[in-house]
Amino acid sequence: MNRRGFASISLATAAGLLLLAGGGSSVNADPRVGQPAPNFTATDSNGKKVSLGDQRGKTVVLEWTNDGCPYVRKHYNAKAMQALQKKWTAQGVVWLSVISSPPGEQGYADGKLANRLTEERGASPTAVLLDPGQQVARAYRATATPHMFVITAKGSVAYMGAIDDNPSYSGDPRKAKNFVDRALTEVKTGKPVSNPSTRAYGCAVKYTS
Amino acid sequence: MAVHAIPRISTDSGRTAGRRHLLSVATAAVLAALALPALANPQASDLVKTELIAELGAVRAAEPFWVGIRLTMKEHWHTYWRNPGDSGEATQVRWTLPPGFSAGELQWPAPSLIRVGPTASFGYEGEAILVTRITPPQRLEPGQDVQLSADVAYLVCEKICIPGEAKVSLPLAAVGSETPSGPHAEVFAQARRKLPQPSPWPARFAADAKTITLTFDTKDQGASIRAATLFPHDNLLIDNAAPQGLETADSTRLILARSALAAATPSAIDGVLVVEEDLGGRTVTHAFAVSAGDAGAAGVTQGGIGLLPAILLAMLAGIILNLMPCVFPVLSIKVLHLTQQAGETAARVRLHGLAYTAGILASFAALAGVLHAVRAAGAEVGWGFQMQSPAVVAALAFVIFAMGLSLSGIFTIGTALARVGNTTLAHAPGLTGSFFTGVLATIVATPCTAPFMGAAIGFALTQSFPTALTVFLALGFGLAFPLLVLSVVPRWRHWLPRPGPWMDTLKQLLAFPLYATAAWLIWVLSQQVGSTGLLAALSGLVLIGFGAWTFNMARERHGTFGRVLQGVAAVCLIGVAALAATVETDRTGSGAITAATSAAEAEPFTQHKLDALLASDRPVFVNLTAAWCITCLVNERTALSTDAVREAFAQSRVAYLKGDWTNRNPEITRMLERFGRSGVPLYVLYRRGKDPIVLPQILTESLVIDHITRL
Repeated sequence: MNRRGFASISLATAAGLLLLAGGGSSVNADPRVGQPAPNFTATDSNGKKVSLGDQRGKTVVLEWTNDGCPYVRKHYNAKAMQALQKKWTAQGVVWLSVISSPPGEQGYADGKLANRLTEERGASPTAVLLDPGQQVARAYRATATPHMFVITAKGSVAYMGAIDDNPSYSGDPRKAKNFVDRALTEVKTGKPVSNPSTRAYGCAVKYTS
Repeated sequence: MAVHAIPRISTDSGRTAGRRHLLSVATAAVLAALALPALANPQASDLVKTELIAELGAVRAAEPFWVGIRLTMKEHWHTYWRNPGDSGEATQVRWTLPPGFSAGELQWPAPSLIRVGPTASFGYEGEAILVTRITPPQRLEPGQDVQLSADVAYLVCEKICIPGEAKVSLPLAAVGSETPSGPHAEVFAQARRKLPQPSPWPARFAADAKTITLTFDTKDQGASIRAATLFPHDNLLIDNAAPQGLETADSTRLILARSALAAATPSAIDGVLVVEEDLGGRTVTHAFAVSAGDAGAAGVTQGGIGLLPAILLAMLAGIILNLMPCVFPVLSIKVLHLTQQAGETAARVRLHGLAYTAGILASFAALAGVLHAVRAAGAEVGWGFQMQSPAVVAALAFVIFAMGLSLSGIFTIGTALARVGNTTLAHAPGLTGSFFTGVLATIVATPCTAPFMGAAIGFALTQSFPTALTVFLALGFGLAFPLLVLSVVPRWRHWLPRPGPWMDTLKQLLAFPLYATAAWLIWVLSQQVGSTGLLAALSGLVLIGFGAWTFNMARERHGTFGRVLQGVAAVCLIGVAALAATVETDRTGSGAITAATSAAEAEPFTQHKLDALLASDRPVFVNLTAAWCITCLVNERTALSTDAVREAFAQSRVAYLKGDWTNRNPEITRMLERFGRSGVPLYVLYRRGKDPIVLPQILTESLVIDHITRL
């Protein structure tokens, strides 16, 4: 190939690599309580682009989910997760369910399946984000499903970790102490979050590498 | 297992080919139908084989033996260690044993690191045997069957996770003679080799906001270490997936990144250290059980002091303690008392002084003993621990109030205190009186702290009991010193004024500092208990007053009426003691130091909050205080809540954390110990990019502002 061809291909490759690197989430340090939450842009189950930066001014909840996981099912079967979503989205909280399972792994869903699951389960998240490339998961170091994050209207992490204090796959989630509900109440009333970070329990996020 | 495309079969005859084709399709379909459910829903019991094995073939009375839960995982699947890491759940074992049998703690073999993407967990692939020791009862009839059972709950994962439960049991025979070894003896020998061994290297750790550095005293063995990994018992301690930096310069150091789920800095780090050593050309892997103690916060200059400085500081503190409002009245009475003894022989006066000193020393020894015992029992308490108990505070208030009443003349008791003003020799108090005055002086001294006391006692509490006792005795000696000097050096007594009626007035006047101390103690109590407890305490004071008056009346009346009155007084005393006890039952959760005495934006101190603020690179001012600490309250009023100081804080964006140690708080106790202190106040200024500094115990406004502006 001639020199011009070579030059344009190199340029294109370089541009492509840069785009790939920059187009994904901005991965800095791990999320820490009190620090700005990592920004991300992901596609939701209806094909729309959702980014965290656009949600400034509203409290955001991130819920990592996997419908095949017994720990997630514990919350959805008891309708506890749905009740939590309904309670807080009614108060203006943006609730984003995130599916980070890659194709072929437990929990993977495309847009159609995600919408069907939402309808079947009676869930009411603001949006379901499809993250099969696991960029959002890596940005947040999500370790399990369910893994919960509460982000304030100013964009900083108020709570991260387990959804409640009962780390088993059985038991009534409505009887457990729900850290997310508590954190959202404390954020709303301007009080400091009493238990800002805990270890998330559940099925491991199905990372590919 | 994939369902392959059905091969085309070329045949000669069309119909036979068609039938064979159909048969292949049918077979494939049936096979697929059988295989699919197993793929879609693997059962936990298919993935993990659980069994209970014993080392011995039979059991004997009172002879402990080892058993193990053997988990055999299917290839590529794993179960979890006691700390599962970023995800997963530790295997749990619940024993069902025959009566009289008891099971010890589960012992875990050294785990492996299981990485999945950016996460890391700790667990076992292949096989894991969790061993424990079972102790049979003292009496066990030979010939009977002993059934050991356990419920094992686990989580087994490959890509997906499946929770499982298994019930395992093992029948064993009870014998009276030698217990035979069982068929698994060799398995147990191997299992023991996989358990972490006691570590040959002492370990310490130092923690800052982002890292924990473990230092192992490996001496010359450090050079052969090629790799090391720490698996901590605490799930939230470190970033489990981050690489662990190994340095083998002079000692072996392991640098661990702290978890973003920043929990409080622990006082000890327990875990398993897996080391790869190059021994004679071969790489050998060892697993050691480590327990590292806190070497002190990184970069803190205020560690501790030596023994001699501690003793000297303690003596100085003791002397200064005489000037505190708690002690001053008692000291004054004793001095007044000395003036009375102008007619006594020098030897007798000296003996009194020594008896007083002995009383003080004995009380300090007792206090040191109690503090040591309480700490040895595991409670994380420091000096001032007695003030963290409402019953003690109430009792102190009662004692001091009673003493005040005695000085006011409401009643007279047979101690040296009451006899002042009475100039006749016949009423000169005995040596025991002096001894108990010393005891009393110690008791009323305990609510007060003097400068230098903090550092001296902080040092003492980190040492062995004999060393600690020496420091405490030095403190007591300092307390006794002024009076001892006065009684031993007769010339100085000539400077004391001659006794006269003025002494009575002075005595009554000195009752008031004691009443003030009692009032302050009740205020402290109000921070620790609710209104019911406060009522109990105040009722106790009333009862003391009544009892004192009754007792006094009893002395002046003889016969039955006198005895009745004495009985009433005794009943009052019992009532007071009971009230002091009930005060304890109305504790409120936390002592709330009134906001009026604090700077505007003080947040309650927790280690977590401190770490979070330090991680966000803000300077932090930590004020550890307690309601019963007078120095603390004075400092707050004069140096920390003035407008100028508040403005300086706001301008330099200094975060203000206030720790309230009025009631027990192990986090605050640990923070104090880290700076070599055992009591409040403690003022620490954490600066950006520099070591934290400890401010002196007596603050002034200009001192604080000076440090803030020099940040």
